[in-house]
Amino acid sequence: MITFKNVSLIYPNAQRTILEALNFEVFEGELVLVIGHTGAGKSSLIKLINGLVPHHTGGILTGEITVAGRSTRELKPGQLSDVIGIVGQNPINGFVTDIVEEEIAFGLETMGIAPEIMRKRVEEVLDLLSLAPLRNREIATLSGGEQQRVAIGAALVLNPKVLLLDEPTSALDPIAAEEVLSILHRLVHDLGLTVILAEHRLERVIQFADRIMRIGDDGEVAIGKPGEILEDSPIAPPIVNLAKALDLSEISLSVRELRRRTESIRELLQDLPLPTKIVESNSKILLSLNNVSVKYDAKYALSNISFEIKRGEVVALMGRNGAGKSSLLRSAVGQSPIISGTVLINGIDPVKLTGKNLIRHVGYVPQEPGDLLYGQSVKAECELADNDNGVPVGTTQTIYENLMAIPNLSAHPRDLSEGQRLGLALSVILSANPDLIILDEPTRGLDYVAKNKLIKILQKLVVDSNQARSVVIATHDVELVAEVAERVIFLAEGEIVANGPTREVLTSSPAFAPQVTKVLAPAAWLTVSEVVAALDRNAI
Amino acid sequence: MQLVHPLVWWLWALLLAAFVIRTDNALIATAVVCALTLVVLKLKSKSYWSGAFALSAKLAVSIIAIRIAFAILIGVPMPGTVLFQIPEIALPSWMVGIRIGGPVTSQRLTTAVTEALMIATLILLCGAASSLASPHRLIRSLPKAMFNLGVTLSVATSVLPQTVKSVARIQSAKRLRGQNIRGLRAWRGIALPLLEESLERALDLATAMESRGYGYHGKTSKYRAQKFQLVDVAMITSVLYLLVLSPILIAQFTFGLLLAATVLIVALPIVIVPR
Repeated sequence: MITFKNVSLIYPNAQRTILEALNFEVFEGELVLVIGHTGAGKSSLIKLINGLVPHHTGGILTGEITVAGRSTRELKPGQLSDVIGIVGQNPINGFVTDIVEEEIAFGLETMGIAPEIMRKRVEEVLDLLSLAPLRNREIATLSGGEQQRVAIGAALVLNPKVLLLDEPTSALDPIAAEEVLSILHRLVHDLGLTVILAEHRLERVIQFADRIMRIGDDGEVAIGKPGEILEDSPIAPPIVNLAKALDLSEISLSVRELRRRTESIRELLQDLPLPTKIVESNSKILLSLNNVSVKYDAKYALSNISFEIKRGEVVALMGRNGAGKSSLLRSAVGQSPIISGTVLINGIDPVKLTGKNLIRHVGYVPQEPGDLLYGQSVKAECELADNDNGVPVGTTQTIYENLMAIPNLSAHPRDLSEGQRLGLALSVILSANPDLIILDEPTRGLDYVAKNKLIKILQKLVVDSNQARSVVIATHDVELVAEVAERVIFLAEGEIVANGPTREVLTSSPAFAPQVTKVLAPAAWLTVSEVVAALDRNAI
Repeated sequence: MQLVHPLVWWLWALLLAAFVIRTDNALIATAVVCALTLVVLKLKSKSYWSGAFALSAKLAVSIIAIRIAFAILIGVPMPGTVLFQIPEIALPSWMVGIRIGGPVTSQRLTTAVTEALMIATLILLCGAASSLASPHRLIRSLPKAMFNLGVTLSVATSVLPQTVKSVARIQSAKRLRGQNIRGLRAWRGIALPLLEESLERALDLATAMESRGYGYHGKTSKYRAQKFQLVDVAMITSVLYLLVLSPILIAQFTFGLLLAATVLIVALPIVIVPR
């Protein structure tokens, strides 16, 4: 269906080849997963297939790409729209109309399909993606998962043979991600659609992949069966790491398969004691919310929320999209107008804190870390932060250098990878030395390597001997929560539905359980490292 | 559910603007604004753009305020009833005919208010049209020949409202970095990330439109062809009558009749447009 013959791609002014001498073929009805570090060229590869690269972005392309027998060299993306559908990283940016039904019809309208046929096709797609109940809704009011489905429907309506998706689940909560992926799975199996998918969160997609394409940092690409590729890959989901840690002869990709093969180990683990964390009950309360309610346009975003966060705690805030996580974080820093209740940070109402007083108590890294940055280079940004925070020159830069392996001081903040940008924003916040650090969806664009680094940084922050800080993370990433958080606060419809130790909360709901838990259930293990540690202790 | 054709709302507002300019009367303009406000409150769309009327109202009020302030402070001396005196600054003799401060006459104030009201009404009409039919929707009814214009305008009309949201988001991020969010220096910190984000959005939308074949096929079609209906015809003809007949109405009958007719015709959509 898709063939790459000797394809290389270079961007002008770039220091390295993005892709080099790429040869592969994708067959009809295959689901191919593209993996690689952030910035390795996953998006470029996806866009190469329908010609957006180089037609839209520039860049020098050599070699030959054909899709369904047509070469993308002469044809522009618009001329390939009947064989290739594409769903971008942020589907909300790509919507042309306001209403679900109109959005799905848009592609057909541009092709001049007769209205009677169009009605039928739109109807089919609405049913296929279970969008019929939403047909007259404004797209802006839909949840992330629903928007993702509308974008897929809008691409599918032209009956393409190939569907390209760039990180379709990274912004979604686990349940919405499941919805989107199961629909893709069905499309591949029922309609023989060819799907190429780039994704960081392998634990969500791995079980659906027929083959994996791994893009190395040097532009070299390996393609093969998931088992072969992941065997020696540094990018691997917890289920693969678990199999490797348990010294199994080969790795498994689905929970079902690994459960079957680990029966004896599971029995052993069942009897081993779970690691417990000693919670210092006498540490001081840093953040407290008491009966807080927040209302937007007659709708309660939060109703009667009460909880406390003590010094030295890492707390995860979870819940589906729109459950009130962001409202809660904003009210904790005095940004949401509270209609009732009290918020106190170190005993002070955050609304009354401004400027330097605010940042000494609380540091907030927003979902788009770039919002915080406005310097012309990393070095300039660090100097600006020193100045803003009133700390000696060089403080921020030192923190940044400690966080990053390759500090890259002369780069423009916009040219940094997602992980580096997050690191820079975090350094800016940390140089003010706040007691409470709030992170909103920090792992959205991070690969496993960058994520592990973030986990280490966060763990170091809370155990810092000079100052017992606390960290609050709002996230959909259950694997991150399993690694760092001691406590999980679970929100639904603006109310707290669970507030307890991570192990208890995560293992109680199958949708939000980490992979290791799913494999080793009913024993409540959360991460590969704690399983390994327990087995080692047992062996001695 | 068949709504009024988006083009009709814009044509309706345009004709009303012509009417307001032609009658050139503060009372008529006020009547139009009042009726218009009712129409918008009742019928505004649910898109991002529905807030446009509120925004244009703010703009209109500030224009009136600035115009009146200037009329009081600066201007050409005009004869008439002196309402009050403010201290006058003596200007060099070659600047004859201009004064700063001095007597404020009722005539000058009336002219200023009428002028300001006219401009304000035009701005409000534009805002109302955006609120009632999102410009985003309007652009999709553009003919094929205007393909490039269509992409540009689509991108602009969808990026603009999102930009308003982004400003609020970036401002709050800035406050959380402990910075001042007002003043010129603060704007530099907001403008940069904002510009980047808007550009990225615009590019995303342009690629999405391109990938879905926009502009590559000879003939386009309509999913639900928006036909001109009785409602559309009624709205346009009523305003057209108002525009053409207004001089006759004033000459033959009384001003009161024209005023009543204006209110009734502008408010007509509230009754005839299905919701």
